[in-house]
Order: sequence, then C-alpha cells, then structure tokens
Amino acid sequence: MKPGLLKYVAVLMLFLCTGLAQAGPPADPVKGTVRDKEGNPLPGVTIQIKGTNQGTVTQPDGTYSLNVTDPNAILVFSYIGYTPQEVPLGGRAVVDLVLESSASELNQVVVVGYGTRRKRDLTGSVGSVSGDAIAAQPVNTATQGVQGKLAGVQIISSGAPGSQPQVRVRGTGSMLAGAEPLYVVDGVLTNDIRNINTTDILTMDVLKDASASAIYGVRAANGVIIITTKRGRVGKMEVSYNMSVGWREVASLVKMANSAQYTDYLKDAGPNVTIPSYNADSDWYDALLRKGMQQTHNVSLSGGTEKFLYYFNVGYLTDEGIVRSNKYDRFTIRSNNEWNIASNLKFVAQVSYMHNTTQNVNLAEVYNNTYRAAPVIPITRDGKYGNTSAFQNVGNPILSIDKVNDRYKENRLQGTGYLEYSPWEFIKLRSSMSANQGFQNRRRYNVAFLNNESTFLVAGGNQQRPESQLTMVKEEGTEWIWDNTVTFQKKFDRHDLTVLAGFTSQEYQGNYLEGLRRNVPNSPDLWYLIAGDPNTSTNTADGDKYARRSWLGRINYSYADKYLLTASFRNDASSRFPSDNRNGYFPAVGAGWVISEEPWMPKGGALSFLKLRGSWGRIGNDNISSNLYILTANSGLLYFFGGTPTLGTNLADIKDRNLKWETTEEYDFGLEFAFLDSRLTGEVNYYNKKTKDALVTVKIPGLLGDPDNEYTTNAGSFVNKGWEFTVGWKDNISEDFSYNIGGNLTLNDNEVTGLNQGQPLFRGGVGQQGNITKTDNGQPIGSFFVLDAMGVFPTQGAIDAYVNKNGQKIQPNAQPGDLQYRDVNDDGSINDLDRIYAGSYQPKFYYGINAGLACKGIDFSMDFYGNAGNKIYNGKKAFRYEVTDNVEAKYADRRWTSTRPSTTDPRVLYGNTPASTYFVESGNFFRLNNITLGYSLPKRILDNIKMEKIRIYLTSQNLFTSKRFSGFSPEMISSNPKQDGFLSLQNSSSPLEAGIELSPYPTTRTYALGLNITF
Amino acid sequence: MKKLNYIPFVLIGSLVIYAACGKSFLDIPPQGRVTEDEIRTNPTASIDLVNGVYNVMWLGGFGPDVHGLQFITLTSISSDDADKGSTPQDYEPALQIDNFIFTATNPIVQNYWTGLYQAIARCNQALDKLPLSPLEAAEKNRLIGEVRFLRGYFYFNLVRTYGGVPKLDRVPTPDEANSDEFQTRATADVIYELIISDLQFAVDNVPLKGATQVGRVTKGAAQMLLGKVYMYRKNWQKAFELSQAVVNSGLYDTLSAYADIWRAKGANSIESIFEVQTGTNAACNAAIELYANSQGIRARKGWSDFGFGFNNPTADLAAAYEPGDKRKDATIITILPNGTVLWDGFRVPSRDSVENDRYSYKAYHSRTQEPYCGSPDRTPKNLRVLRYGELLLQYAEAANEAGNGGEALAKLNIVRKRAGLPPAVSGGQADLRQKIWKERRVELAMEHDRFWDLVRTGRAGAVMRAHGKAFMDNKNELFPIPQEQIVLSNNRLKQNPGYD
Repeated sequence: MKPGLLKYVAVLMLFLCTGLAQAGPPADPVKGTVRDKEGNPLPGVTIQIKGTNQGTVTQPDGTYSLNVTDPNAILVFSYIGYTPQEVPLGGRAVVDLVLESSASELNQVVVVGYGTRRKRDLTGSVGSVSGDAIAAQPVNTATQGVQGKLAGVQIISSGAPGSQPQVRVRGTGSMLAGAEPLYVVDGVLTNDIRNINTTDILTMDVLKDASASAIYGVRAANGVIIITTKRGRVGKMEVSYNMSVGWREVASLVKMANSAQYTDYLKDAGPNVTIPSYNADSDWYDALLRKGMQQTHNVSLSGGTEKFLYYFNVGYLTDEGIVRSNKYDRFTIRSNNEWNIASNLKFVAQVSYMHNTTQNVNLAEVYNNTYRAAPVIPITRDGKYGNTSAFQNVGNPILSIDKVNDRYKENRLQGTGYLEYSPWEFIKLRSSMSANQGFQNRRRYNVAFLNNESTFLVAGGNQQRPESQLTMVKEEGTEWIWDNTVTFQKKFDRHDLTVLAGFTSQEYQGNYLEGLRRNVPNSPDLWYLIAGDPNTSTNTADGDKYARRSWLGRINYSYADKYLLTASFRNDASSRFPSDNRNGYFPAVGAGWVISEEPWMPKGGALSFLKLRGSWGRIGNDNISSNLYILTANSGLLYFFGGTPTLGTNLADIKDRNLKWETTEEYDFGLEFAFLDSRLTGEVNYYNKKTKDALVTVKIPGLLGDPDNEYTTNAGSFVNKGWEFTVGWKDNISEDFSYNIGGNLTLNDNEVTGLNQGQPLFRGGVGQQGNITKTDNGQPIGSFFVLDAMGVFPTQGAIDAYVNKNGQKIQPNAQPGDLQYRDVNDDGSINDLDRIYAGSYQPKFYYGINAGLACKGIDFSMDFYGNAGNKIYNGKKAFRYEVTDNVEAKYADRRWTSTRPSTTDPRVLYGNTPASTYFVESGNFFRLNNITLGYSLPKRILDNIKMEKIRIYLTSQNLFTSKRFSGFSPEMISSNPKQDGFLSLQNSSSPLEAGIELSPYPTTRTYALGLNITF
Repeated sequence: MKKLNYIPFVLIGSLVIYAACGKSFLDIPPQGRVTEDEIRTNPTASIDLVNGVYNVMWLGGFGPDVHGLQFITLTSISSDDADKGSTPQDYEPALQIDNFIFTATNPIVQNYWTGLYQAIARCNQALDKLPLSPLEAAEKNRLIGEVRFLRGYFYFNLVRTYGGVPKLDRVPTPDEANSDEFQTRATADVIYELIISDLQFAVDNVPLKGATQVGRVTKGAAQMLLGKVYMYRKNWQKAFELSQAVVNSGLYDTLSAYADIWRAKGANSIESIFEVQTGTNAACNAAIELYANSQGIRARKGWSDFGFGFNNPTADLAAAYEPGDKRKDATIITILPNGTVLWDGFRVPSRDSVENDRYSYKAYHSRTQEPYCGSPDRTPKNLRVLRYGELLLQYAEAANEAGNGGEALAKLNIVRKRAGLPPAVSGGQADLRQKIWKERRVELAMEHDRFWDLVRTGRAGAVMRAHGKAFMDNKNELFPIPQEQIVLSNNRLKQNPGYD
C-alpha cells in the first residue's frame, strides 16, 4: 500500500466510527498552543467559540486548530482543574495561551512511563514532587530532597558527599542488595542519579504500585522514580543564577571514653595491659571530623520560539564533607532542546554531562579505627604519630588518612534523542535512542612509611608500608536503550481512549583496567605508573555485559471523566537468567471511579473531588550481577614446580544454575478526595505486595567449599502490606498571604511467608558474635535474633539466685557485673536455643509533616520527617576486636564496677560477649528535615532594575533531630555506594542485615545562605 | 509548518529488524571469565585445576585459612611449645586458644574449617574433571594421585582438629548439596578410611622424587604421610613398612646442618619430602599469607621490625633441649639483653627493643640474604610439611611399637647424631617410646606437630595442665565445630563433647 492510501483508509474508518466528519468549505483556521504555567503543553483543553456549539480540543502536544469565521469571536478555553479563560480573537490567526491551574494537585500531569496522565485520571498510585521543592533544599542528590514528602517512600540518606541515598518504596521490596528503585531520567533507565543536578529537575514522579510501574516490568519491583528535566518555553530568554553557600557539620556524635575512663575500664577488662604513659587524652573523632564548606552555583538560560525551544544549565557544586581530607566537586552541564521540524514532527535532544572529582577517604577503615583508638595514645606529638597499632593493634586513623592520596574522577554523559511524529493528530510515533556513558579514573597513592621512630613516637605494630604504591584504575561503561512506541489517543464523544504499544531493547558493556606499581616517588607530578619500579608492575582487568529486550503495551480508557480503566502488559527477557527462565510476563489492570462526577452527587458543596480506585499488577526484579547462573573459573592461580611459575585455575563460586525471576504481585486500593475548592486534598491507600522467588544472597555451609561461603538464589517469599495517608491544606487568605500545611503517614508490615528450602537465612556477622539476624517465616526480613539480656547481675547473690525450675543455676560461671540472659527454653543453660526475635530495622511507620507560608515577599517553609517502630543493632559497640578497644563514655559511666553495682551495663565487653538485646536499641527518630526562610524583592523594585526575580534565603537541613539511638545516626546505609561500577551502583547493604551500625558516615547538619536571580 | 509522512516506514522497517534480532542478543557469555563448559573441552584444563589445588596451600590471612596464622594458632600456639606472643592484647582469639578458654564462635576455629573445605572443594573439582581429560592413563593417574594426596593431607588436618567431619569426596550436585549425606558428620573412622584410600592411591600412582618436578607430590611423600596416618591409627606394622620404603628408596637423607633446613638454601633439599613451594613475582604475593610475617620479630622501639611476633617458643621448650643440642639455637631466636645477631648478620638491637623473649627461627626469613620482594605478609618462605628427620622418628616409633627396638634405636640415633648429641640407649620398649617422643618434641619443635602429637600419644591433658593451660580431658583434644556452621546446617552438624 502507498502511504497516502493507508492514511486515507484509516482516516475514513475513524470518521465513520465517530461521526465527527466535518463538512463545509475550509477557512483559514485559528491555531495555537495551550500550556500550563510550567510550559508543559496541555492536551484535551476544550476550546469553544462563545455563543456557538463550535469547538475543538487540544492535541497531545497542546496545539489546536479551529475554523472561525468571525474575526471578532471570543474563544473560551476550559479544562478541568484550570481556571477557564475567555480570549477575544481580535483578528489574530494565532492564539497561544497559558492556563492557570485552579486545583493543581489533581490536574497535575504526571509522567507514568512512556507517556503522561493527569493525576485525576490515574488508576494506580503515583506520587509527585516538583523540582522546585527539591532544589530549594541544600542536598546533593535529588532523592534526598524527596525525604518525608511522599507517603510510601522511605529514604535513608548518608552524610557522605556524593553518595546516593537508599530508597524503599512501600517496604523492603527485595531481599537482595538491589532493593533500590529504578530511576528513569528523561527515558534513560539507570540506578544512579548522582549525575543529575537538582536545579535541572522539573518533576520527580514515583510509581508506587505494581499497576503503575508494571510498564517497566522486570525493573519495577522496587518502585520507579521518573525524573523529568526542564525544557524551554516559548517566550523571551530567561536567565537565572542560583547559588548557595554554607557549611556542614556532624549532626550527632558519639562521645568516647577519655583517658581516665578508659584506664579505669581496662583495670577490669585487661588487668595485664600496661598502659603507656603519655599523659595524653586524645579525642580521635575531634581530630577526624571538621566543618565542611559547601557551595553551589547554577546559571541557566531558557526560552524559545515555536520552532525551537531550549534550556541550558551549567552547575558547580563543591562539598568538603565532614571528614578530614574528604572532598567532592561536581560540574554539570545540561542542554535540553526541542525542534519542531514540521507541525507533526518534532525532535528532542536532552543531553547532560557531569564531571566530578572526589578526594576519597577509606571510611570503613577510618571510622572503625577512630572508634577503637585508645585515648591514652597521642594523635600526633612533635610531628610524630601516636602508635595505636603497637599498643592495641589499631591503625592510627589520622595517619592512615594522611598517608593516602586517593583521587577519583568520574565523567558521565547521558542523553536521549527522540523523534516524534504524528501522521494524524491521534497517532504519535516515537523512536528514542538513549545513551548512558561513564568514564572513571582513580589514582590512589599510598605513601611509604615504616613502623619505627621516623614515623611514630615509638616503634612497632603492624601499621606500616615499607614501599610506596601507586594504583591507577580506569573504568568505562556504555549503555544504550532504544525505545519505540506508538500512541493512539482519541476522544470519541465521552469516551477517551489512549493506546500505547512499543518495544525496547538495551545493552550494557563495561570494562575495568587496573595497574599497580610500587616504589613510586612521593610527588604528585610523578604519580604515573612509569615512575614506579617496573619489576613490581601488575595489572588486572575485568568486564561486564548484559542485555534486555522487551515488548510493552498499555490501554487507558475513560468514560465521561468518570469511569477510568487502565491495562498494561510487558514482556521482558534478560540475559541475566538461563535461557529457559529468561522470559517474564508482567500484566497489570486498574480501575477508577470519580464519584464526584456522578450526577447524583451534590454539586457546589464542600466536596470538590472524590475518586475510588483499585488495581493489580505483577512486576519483577533482575537486579543481580550478570553471570550468577554460569559456573566460571578463576585463572592465573600461581604455583611453582621446579622453581618455574605455573598457572592454575579453580572453579570459583557455587552458582544456582536454575536462577529465575523474582516476581511481585501487588493489590492497591485508594481513595482520593478534595474539599472546599480543593483547598483540602488527601489520599488514602491500602496496598498488599507479595514477592515470591525472592533473589537473595544466602550464606551456605563452609563444607561446600565456596570461597565466600555464599551464593545467590531464589530463596523465599514475603509480603509487604500497609496503609498510606496523605492530607494537605492550602489557602490564599489574600493576594499577599498564603499558607499550606500537610502531612503523610505510612504504615508498613513486612513478613516472610515462605522459604524455598525451609532454611532460615542467617546474616549480619558482628565479629565473634556471629550472625545476628535471622530471616524466617512469620518475621520481618532481617530480624535481629539474639539472647534476651535482662540486665546485669549486681552481686554474686543475684547469680546464685538465678535458677531454673529445677533449682539449677542458669549462669553458674558468671561474675558480678556480667549480663544476665533469659533462659527462654528453661533448660538451665544459656545457648543459641535461647535467642529471641528482637525487632528489625524496618520501621512500622514513617511520616512527614510540611508547612509553609508566604506573606508579601517573605516565604517560610519547614518539613519534618520521622520513623518509628524499628530497631538498630549497635554493632560497633558489640564488635570488640581487642580488649584495648576504646569504649563509649556513656557506657564507661554506667558500667558495673565493684563500687557501683550497676544493673544496666556490664562490667566489661569482650569480643565473645554474646549477641543480645543489650546491643539492640530503638531506631525511632523525628527530625526537622529542612527549614527555609526567604525574601523576594517586590515587583516595583524589580521593574526598576529590569529583573524578574531576586530572592535571598537562609536554609538549614537537619537542624534538629530527636532520637533514642546512642550511635551516630539512626539512618544507616551499611556502607557507601560501591564506587566502582557506576551503572551498577548499589548500596551494598543487604536488607537481610540492615540496621547494624558498624561504621556509618554520620548524618550531617547543613546551614546555607542562598540567592536566586532571574532576569 | 509542513507535515512529513514517510517516517512510519522507517519505524516499521526497524521493527522487523528488531524482531529478527532473535535470541542471540540475550545469550551473553560471562565477560573475562572462563566457563565450566570451556574447561570441559580444554585438554589442559584438568592440569590447570590440579595446579589450582597446589595454590590453595597459600591460603592464609584473617579469612579462610590453610597454612597461615590461624593454622599456626591451632597447631602450635595451642601447645606447650609456643605462646601466643606479640603484645598481650593483640589478637584476642589466639589468646583464647592459647589458654583454652575459647568457644565454638572463635573465628580461628571457623576460618580453619572453611579454609580446609575450600581446599577440599578444589581437590574435588579437579577430580571431577580429570577423568574427562584426554591425557594418557599413567599421566592422568599421576595427577589424580597428586590431588588425592593433597585431599588426604587436608582431611588429615581436619580430622585431627575436629574429629569426624562431613565427608565430601566429590562435588555434590545442586540437589545433593543440602542432603544429610553432606550436612552431617561422618565418623572419624570413615574419614580415616577416605584418607587412607586417597594416600594409597597416591602411593600407587605418583612417581618417585626425581622422576617428577620439584614441588609436586612424590611417592615418598605419599608413603611417609600414609605411614604417619597409620601411626595415628596405631597400625604400627603399616606405619613401619611405609616409613621403611621411604628410607629404602635412598632418595632422602638428613641435611647435615640442621639450621639450613629452613633457609632458602635448604629448600627442597635432600631432607625435604614435601614442602609448600613459594617464590617471588611482580605482584609479590607468591607465598603463604601471614606465615613467616606473623611469627616475625616484633619491635617495641628503635627499629622497624620483621613481623607481628606471634608463636613464641616457650621457656619450657627451650629447657627441653639437652645441653649441647645444636637444634636449640636453630629453632629459637633468643633475644639477649644487649641484642642478638641473626644468621644473616642482622642485629636485633636489644631485649627492650622487642616485645618478646623468643621467636621461631624456623619461620625467620632473611630479607637481605634470601629472596624477598617487599611484601611482608607474603614472605616467600617454603613451609616444610614432611621431612626426613620426622620420617626417621616415625620409623623409630613404628619399629619400637612393632617390637623392633634395635631398628628403632638406630634411626633415633641418626637424628641425635646430627643434633650433636650422644647416642641414646634403650631401656626397653616403654623407655624407648618416651625417648622417641621426647626427641620428636625437640626435633620437630615449632613445626606444627606438637599439639596433635600430644593428643595422639594421650599426653595432652597432663602436659597442658602442667603448662598452666585450662585443658579439659575428653573435650579439648578436639576443637569445636564452628557454631556458625552448625547453624547453617540447620543443627544437623552435632557439636563435639563439652562445647555445647
């Protein structure tokens, strides 16, 4: 068939169906585009010639075309949720219009994956946060700015510069480390959004339930966060400059014992230890931590014509971090352009580049050592370091920072280009190619030093590096994603139908190269491998590759804006599973009923909107490493025969050759409402999410000989169910005074319902205490499983009196001052059979409260965030490496001594002090997340100086926290995001062992002063 | 603006191409990793797997351990020959073992278990693939023999440490891995049967020293180890025959200078029967992790030291040497108040410059006179696992127990002669037994034999308690099954007596 013919047949059929065929001679039509305040095109706006029945609606791109015979006619633009406007034509041929929203909450357009919907038309659960709300906070990653703003979205952030917070959408959705949501940045699917400048963000939409996220199939199990960046709008060029400058400091510090307390403690814990007499009283944390400066600067240009729209931003951020020598600098550029090549053909290119430099600190080592280092050893004295290593086998943390220069440079280029073509108004074809490329290089120089008196106050210990060492790492990753979709959208009378179909494929390839030489001179100009000893030259390399291929489709149907129906389907195939298990099918359906549209509902009353909705969907998770089902070999294992080096191999890890998809099925019910002209809005949701064949890394018995004694398999099933409540009130009292207040609350209940081999999963090793969490049927994932400590035996009498039913002494070997444990099974002895479940890190509920007001030029806002019902295991206190490890001041003050028979804290803590509830603490906290006070210059002054906007503001992140936990922060990301492998970036904390505090980066408090200028 | 109408065809075309892309797009082999399938089809792969078994003998550090500090702790620090050493507070888990106050959660107990099973897994993988190899039968059996020797050696260490352990004599299929067959303990007798059959296969299929590369398992090594195993089983006749076969092979002898056995120049000498090979390479990691360095002299002030200072010879051991015994100064570095000069000329400044009174000379590696590439944790020191001196004493003990006191005395006196001591005189079988045991202690001091030897000969309780250790009879002869492993087996692994 010829193209023309095909088109005409289709058009003819449609005309016959709808009876909308128009007759009469064509006249020059009036054209234009309708947009919202943000410059987004508004589809479906009704345009009528006043006093007639003639009219039309805007197309998906907001354009319309209407034949008008009377040049003085008045056009009426109306759209639900927006204030209607009447525009006299006045002989014009083009009328562009911006509609002001009347109740923006409900009519907000949200991005739902491969398309957009009005929020009021959704049948699933989607939360949105505007870019302005994120950019207003002094945070480095957008995710952190969402904290406390959305029900069902729990965000745990670390204070480490350049780190990405951990996100849990509706509970822990996976047992694997990859419990992170999928991010979609302008169509680019990624795990890492640290390259996105918060200033560039227009909106962040979180697809929370399975019916909303199922369009992303296998990637959606942990929720989907869609980030849309800003675009230009038609009009004159707008230039803005935004900056902020401030500092960060540690929000909460653990005070360690001073020399007197420490010496006193060691009299009991290690009477044989000879304490060196330096007369020192070192505060190691004080030496390690500092106030870190933080600055951001952004310049953006945007504007455009009907044919070309542009948005351009350059941003710079520097964040020193609160740890000595730590630093993070980031430079970003974004250019989003849109060319309207023809009225039905558009090309959009959105490209961003990021470069960052990190001066890295090995935090796990440094924090651990700082916690343990004895106060009796000087940090430095007379230019020499105190030798903590010789005394107590703990490296001097300040020395270890000073003797390493670890610089990390990361470049990321991310972009999407798409062509969108509408052969007819109701069809939109889009082909989009996205690329995500990363290049990293790392230069780590380890300075040589000896454990003698040239470095230390005294010699000895194992902290030394006889030879300097230079490591260079280069890593690159390239990913492409090719999306092709066709969207049909048409209104037939009161039927509104949108059909989407498409296919997408994706491939990632990465490689890694590392070279090392020793004996490199200590001068930055010589930090190249060539300057090192060639006889010590070694290198290693690695690679990764994976691909996915998918088909997808979705139907949205609504009748009279009243009955809403959505159905979607996705088929995914992933190279990460064996070919028999490779395909996954992910359907979803949802229905909604806008009750307030029913004729029998009273109109004009307090109620302005009411919707009931329900949905079901199935989603999956393939967020595991690439080759977990194929047995591979390690080659290059050296040995010598006859003095000749000979290489060997071994089969590396035990693999599950039958690995399959993890699938989640979710039901979601919601009620959305608005009262009093949408001044009061709210939403209630119930969800029930069942995950089966959960992918998880389980520990396996050592006798199987696996080198790390663990492997990844489909280990079990679990459920997350809960309620979400959101309510908000906003009102404009007068032109000059408006305010808003709102809050959200999420109740979540997580429970393991099945274990594939009936084997509970033990994780969370804390030194000699062994595994302290148990994941078993009927319990939340990663529950602490420990002895029940009832207190401390104050006297020998209490020990003698502690007997079971047969009069047997339960802890006959205890001494006064030891912990007393409950004999749960009453067998007369304390052992593993007496362990109890003592809670988990997963909160029972979490909540956010926000409030704001604007009066004349002053704006003020604050938001709070908190969670409750979870527990934290104080792992750093429990993990005693050596008797001489320092203890916390609070413990030292409260522990049992012969003169102070405490019943709360034991006399001493040893490495083999068993895991017990003594180390379990409450994870509850409540925090003033952000408080901001701003002032904008009045319009008359601005007009005089030809400015659009000048605003100055003061802000503080984390100004105040109320918590019960004695550690650094109740917000714990077990370790920093894996810094190698940018596209596979994951927080390495497994949900199976969440909430064990070992060496976290403390939460920080930020103060900043900012300025926004637009002209 | 104009409308463009030809683009649908580009898109439809690309759809067709896409659909035709097919399945191969998703069949991505592991990048940079040889797969098991490739190993099956590669003729040299099974040889590579055998080499990989030898390599596992370097496993040490603070994780799974085969021959590192944790091995030293369990075999030497545990005994009356050595103290934990280092600073009093360093490495609490080892102190617990030194004083016999450890529990089943002690990390050393766990890491030695996982290390040895890792080694056994490598053996089983190689044994799984060797039958598929296109090599000639004799060559194939030689390789199988080498691996079975090593597996027997690893199991011998396991059974001596923990008693009966799960018997993994093949790579379990995924379905079998969780079965009771593998997840419960076999008896010590069953494990000994496996060890004996492995070593017997090696005896029958591995060439003599000289007919195979230095460093590989030899027939002599297999005979000696099998003889030692029979000695533990009190099968004196077999122990005697096998020891005799090694002597009669004429391929081994005592090295005249006892101290040289542990020097680089004494590596793979006439005395050596089996030793772990090490060397230098660019990465400087071709050695057992934390073997020599963990036992090196530890400075307190004034100089940069040689190690962590663990595993110090005790005063009791020093006193066990007869006057004039050359072996004492070859075994023990005694730090004198005004310093000690080592064989390579290095001078340890003074007693107050170091942490401890005595260090093991057998673990000392000269950084100036011997190969050393700069990474202390991987000092290239060969570990002498089996040597002729021990063989002679094993021979003597077996002969004595088998009723051949004359042969026994003759072999004992070869050992004494080299030590510069007068010949011993036998006062009957029981007297000679005591003399041989005493000789074993001083000849093999600091060579990871003492603890097991005391248990074998039933003297452990008395000797250990006399030495001040809290050793309990019928408990501490064996170490506990690691608690974590019991939990991971779902309590199917049963704990050793006394550790519950």
